[in-house]
Amino acid sequence: MKPDPITLEVVGNSLVAYAEEMAEALCKSAYNMMIYEVRDFCCGLIDTEGRMICQNAGGLPIFLADLGIAVKDGIDRYGLDGFAPGDVVIMNHAQVCGQHLNNVVVYTPCFHEGKVVAFAASRAHWVDVGGLRTGFGNVQTTEIFHEGLQLRSIKIYEAGERNDGVWQVITDNIRFPESSLGDLRAQIACCQLGGRRLGELLSRYSLATARACIAEQWDQAEHEARAVVASIPDGRYTAESWLDNDGRRIDTRLRVKVTVIVDGTNMIIDYSEMNEQVPSPLNSGYSGGLAAARVAFKALTMPDAPVNEGCFRPLELISPEGTMLNARPPAALGLWSISLPTVIDTILKALAPAMPERIPAAHKGDMGGCSFYGYRKDTGTRFVLMNIFGGGWGGRPHEDGEDASVSICQGDVRNTPVELQEVHFPFILECHRLRPDSGGPGKYRGGLGLEIRYRALQECTVNINLERTLDPPWGVNGGASGVVNRCVIRRANGEERDVKKESNVPLEAGDTVTFLTAGGGGYGDPLERARELIERDIALGYVGREGAARDYGDGNWTTSRRSGTAG
Amino acid sequence: MAVGVDIGGTFTDLVGYRDGKIRLSKTLSTPADPTEGVARSLDAAGLEIAELDEFLHGTTVAINTVLERKGAMTAFVTTEGFRDIYEIGRGNRPENFNIFFHRPRPLVPRDRCYELRERMNARGEALVALDQDEVRRLGAQLEADGVQAVAICLLHSYANPAHEILVARLLRAAHPQLFVTASHEILREFREYERSSTTVLNAYVGPRARDYLQRLEAHLSDQGFRGAIQIMRSNGGSMSLRNAAAQPVSMMESGPVAGMIGAGQLAGLLGLSSAIGFDMGGTTAKAALLTDGAAAIEEGYFIGGYATGQPMQLPVVDIVEVGAGGGSVAWRDPAGGLHVGPRSAGAEPGPACYGRGGTEPTVTDANLVLGRLNAQRFLGGGMPLDAACAGKAIEDMARPLGLSLSAAAAGIVRIADAAMALAVRAVSVKKGVDPRDAAMIAFGGAGPLHAVALAREIYVPRVVIPKLPGNFSALGMLLSAWRHDSVRTLVGIVGKLDPKQVGLAYDELIAAARKQLAADSVDAERAAFAFAADLRYRGQEHAITVPVAGADAFARSEEAVRARFHELHELRYGHAAAEETIEIVNVRLTVTVARDDPELRGYLGAPFHAEDPRPEQKRDVVFDDAEQPLATRILWRPGLAPGFRFEGPAVIEEPNSTTLVFPGNLAEITAHGHIVITL
Repeated sequence: MKPDPITLEVVGNSLVAYAEEMAEALCKSAYNMMIYEVRDFCCGLIDTEGRMICQNAGGLPIFLADLGIAVKDGIDRYGLDGFAPGDVVIMNHAQVCGQHLNNVVVYTPCFHEGKVVAFAASRAHWVDVGGLRTGFGNVQTTEIFHEGLQLRSIKIYEAGERNDGVWQVITDNIRFPESSLGDLRAQIACCQLGGRRLGELLSRYSLATARACIAEQWDQAEHEARAVVASIPDGRYTAESWLDNDGRRIDTRLRVKVTVIVDGTNMIIDYSEMNEQVPSPLNSGYSGGLAAARVAFKALTMPDAPVNEGCFRPLELISPEGTMLNARPPAALGLWSISLPTVIDTILKALAPAMPERIPAAHKGDMGGCSFYGYRKDTGTRFVLMNIFGGGWGGRPHEDGEDASVSICQGDVRNTPVELQEVHFPFILECHRLRPDSGGPGKYRGGLGLEIRYRALQECTVNINLERTLDPPWGVNGGASGVVNRCVIRRANGEERDVKKESNVPLEAGDTVTFLTAGGGGYGDPLERARELIERDIALGYVGREGAARDYGDGNWTTSRRSGTAG
Repeated sequence: MAVGVDIGGTFTDLVGYRDGKIRLSKTLSTPADPTEGVARSLDAAGLEIAELDEFLHGTTVAINTVLERKGAMTAFVTTEGFRDIYEIGRGNRPENFNIFFHRPRPLVPRDRCYELRERMNARGEALVALDQDEVRRLGAQLEADGVQAVAICLLHSYANPAHEILVARLLRAAHPQLFVTASHEILREFREYERSSTTVLNAYVGPRARDYLQRLEAHLSDQGFRGAIQIMRSNGGSMSLRNAAAQPVSMMESGPVAGMIGAGQLAGLLGLSSAIGFDMGGTTAKAALLTDGAAAIEEGYFIGGYATGQPMQLPVVDIVEVGAGGGSVAWRDPAGGLHVGPRSAGAEPGPACYGRGGTEPTVTDANLVLGRLNAQRFLGGGMPLDAACAGKAIEDMARPLGLSLSAAAAGIVRIADAAMALAVRAVSVKKGVDPRDAAMIAFGGAGPLHAVALAREIYVPRVVIPKLPGNFSALGMLLSAWRHDSVRTLVGIVGKLDPKQVGLAYDELIAAARKQLAADSVDAERAAFAFAADLRYRGQEHAITVPVAGADAFARSEEAVRARFHELHELRYGHAAAEETIEIVNVRLTVTVARDDPELRGYLGAPFHAEDPRPEQKRDVVFDDAEQPLATRILWRPGLAPGFRFEGPAVIEEPNSTTLVFPGNLAEITAHGHIVITL
């Protein structure tokens, strides 16, 4: 039965709205900034075969391949008849989920007329899940057992009754139980809300109609995506780029090599030549590589449409086991996402010659963040300060790249206000400003990175996980590279050194840590850049005079202060 | 006589009141010159300016200045090291998969962003003193550059505004023509980007808003007006014209709030503890939750949408808006999907049936084709509608879809209804209110026509159509109170707070409010002070605003404060944690002064007497089945006496609105002249 276009529109809009409503409930009552500021979560409805019915739009784009996989494991374990109303399942198992263990999936079965018809699911980053060090992303781990507690498809509530044993295990094995169990409560409430909404929809439109609408939505999304793929010339496209190192073998670069095959309305993304898995936490499981491929595919085909299973039907992934994007257990996964911005950019780079009007130059290419932790001297309490920094995005076919924005793996992820950081943590921020001359020159310039400086007011510790300090954000179509990421620690006595990947670096009062984030690559030949744009850049201080002379030829720029209307 | 004038995207509505008598008009808006629209609406109501004592006004001048980017040449001044905080913003990309996304475009370019050497810490202690000579040099520079307005936002000024006060004072003294705004004058809340943006918005719209208000004042006083002008503000209250000119950012949502204030009062009167206000006009539909007779207030929103808009961190009536109004255009996508809105045909050319040159089908055209609107009684018969034009526009669009005229028209209305239903539900469920326990109060020219269909969609059991629904926003202005909101950041643990410190923070807010009362010449004796605190569990970020008993609530009854917070958290998010530590983030104060005219205040509860009875008509109207119109009673509302009861299907017509009652619904006219429909 094909639904009429009006019912389809109504049911389709409702499902998208439910996912957003679930997200709002989770985000607003969450306990850690990785959820409420970084929006490191996703939620939505999953069908009884583990396929995505709908998912919230904000948050992190890379969560395109993880709810379904997690739910499917529970279905396989319990069977659809093995769920009861009031069940809540918790899941973060590395081998299934393929991500760091902080990403905890919580889901509930949705019943209609006594039968499970779907699952409401949420996945959120817990601030800590135990393991070697506070938080996540410590470069010293070599196997998953260093990284914390694993929970595989465990019913933490059975028919509404809490499993106190499991609850106790969690409480006793993580560093911030108050926060994480608060997040767990928020995740459960979010799932229950999704289940309620689905129930209302089904009582209004019937299960058969809703399923027909969902199927039709998927078909329409597939149709739309195929039309875009068909417009890309058939062929085999390859590109390569490099990560700095795996965090342990500092001088060994990691190859990111992808091949994209376009054949009619199908696209294959092939990771066969990806770097092999590494003895450090820079691996992901299969779902990490799949998520990267899906982000690139979605960005190219239908960036504005809601996400559902149909969007990805034209996409096939080849991802052999044993690479850093499909690591064999018990590989460490703590920094699973660090490679993904580069992987996605490399997929785009491969396709750039085939569709030059639709692909920008490379962006900053890392996840860009910091984490400081320690015990507050005044209160004795444990603290973790985390923040996510933006950087430059690549120049585009018809305009400059954006400045100071989070990576392609991070969507509605916000930096933490300076005032808020200083209220809660023993630091003074000395600056938070644009990094002039960091954008790659081009007809359309890459966006600027940032400069952020922390001064510690007491002793504490910092983890630094810089990437892409060697292979800069590349230009395309003749554009030049942006400036790479950098981090400098300056001791109170004036000693200064660059840091790339280091965990547990001790800081004393008065020490400063400066983060300089990368600029985007340029698009097109810099010598074709319009004179008025160069002069504007100099007047606004985005590009210095020397930089302009070096990158755009020694023009006689007129750069009197601009006056006029804003914008 | 007191009048309220509401200028909307399609219509300008006016309500005048004196001694129990009401005067009305509804005219097409004049986007080019709003003062002309004011004159025309007074004219249509047969009113002379000289006979007015009070003029209340909602205006879109502030928001349009931002959306059209036509504000003043503005400079931004901040702490050394942070010149770019306003331009950098939060770095987020809400359009997740869009690799060609745009960030919010700052209203101030980087070469007009300045740093001053000074620094406060989070406790409000000065780490680096302010250099007054540097401020003086900056002032000279601004003047030389031709800057018209300046926004000052220094780090941690919410904790200690001393440096901001000094900068503002020096600049104002040396450059009286400069429109100066310091962030602490607008809000004392942390988060430097949002505070900066709010301050910049005020400076940016300042000169233009001031000009508009002066022109309005001059226009009225030239024609003999000697009364007071009150401007609606986003928080649902009113303020003096002078206050509006100094803080124009607070009238950003001046237009749509008044109707929700009126609806809140009606909900209170009818004893509806939770109700949903629903307002549908020509351009948009709006919904707000009304709890215990008051509209929900949200602390801030984004002008121009979340993804690329400018954040404004001031209280605003929490209204969800969707681009669905009578004028919303229906269209077809290449894949054969049918959509409605968000584009509106507006006042020019308007829906096809207006016969003013519009050829695209709109929701109003669909309603006319379905027999739901009366072509001869639109705007009280002042603007006959052309059913042939409506039918042709819909047929042209629907032909490739293989739908009949009637099916296409019904489809257009259903899609618009579904979009609005989601918005209506969003305002209720977001606050933990189940629509099944709520009533809907529907107004705006098109609201009563769609209300019952929406209510059915989301299981709202009861719909109320107030008196004068087509002019309800203007009426709401006459019912609104003078209002002043203020906030002060104060971070601490509940239970370990120094009550004296909390008391001091509230005292500061009280003193500021009293100053504002005096400046607006409002009778402070009648002022009501409502205290609140923003609370959260320690570790959370988002706080809930919890009403507290008074400035000494934390000293006297901390347990009651805690209990109320747990309760609200449970209600809103579905869980609470009684054993956890609670943190305070902000203290808040709202001061209101109700209108000093008990009879007008009680208008919605005044007895209603039927007048102007007209004979009942019959016509075919489409309800659920597009191919099976029902022979339907057409009733003339002004002639329906209190106590009159009837069952749907029925259409109730009145000069500026039409109410649709579905088959099986029961409707009754209350003693006060409102219609209550039970589903």
